[in-house]
Amino acid sequence: MSRPSVNRLKGYLLALVLVYVALVELVWPQVAGATSMPWKAVLALVMAAPLIAYIWVVGLRVMRGDELEQRVHLLSLSVATGVVAAVSTAGGFLVAAGVFRVDSGETLLGVFPALGLSYALARLLIARLYGGTGCA
Amino acid sequence: MKNHLRELRDQYAWSQGDLAEKLDVSRQTVNAIETGKYDPSLPLAFRIAKLFRLSIESIFVPGKD
Repeated sequence: MSRPSVNRLKGYLLALVLVYVALVELVWPQVAGATSMPWKAVLALVMAAPLIAYIWVVGLRVMRGDELEQRVHLLSLSVATGVVAAVSTAGGFLVAAGVFRVDSGETLLGVFPALGLSYALARLLIARLYGGTGCA
Repeated sequence: MKNHLRELRDQYAWSQGDLAEKLDVSRQTVNAIETGKYDPSLPLAFRIAKLFRLSIESIFVPGKD
């Protein structure tokens, strides 16, 4: 529960983002050229590993925050989940109705960034309600 | 709910950061409690009372409902 451990977790999050960027540059280009399906699956799952670790570290960060930080995190997560669910439901019906077409794989890849962006914006607003900046 | 946290902190000449460290919470949480934007949980209220060697009701005052 100590404050320094929260700061250390922020460092881990930054490191995981850098790992993900490195994988996008180094591993993802090899997926298209992979001939073996199991190897292709391994490469694709390697791409997801840092993002799954990121979610895990965010969970640890929420658990190690104080009670107000936990409240802000969880309210923000609730808002973000609602926004992404609403947008994906509306988008799903529009696609099903044939209004427009999207690539399902690319759309699924957009869920995590959309959740992260919604979460960041919601956190900024909710933290302000409690007199904070939302940047901590 | 109103509280006397700011006055108590001033008596001890502690900054918000000092108090936050003693309570193991963030400075933002201390600020939110002082400004009445957040009411602490009962365990945190007890920690605050213990730190200042006062009763909870002498620090926190119920507001109008």
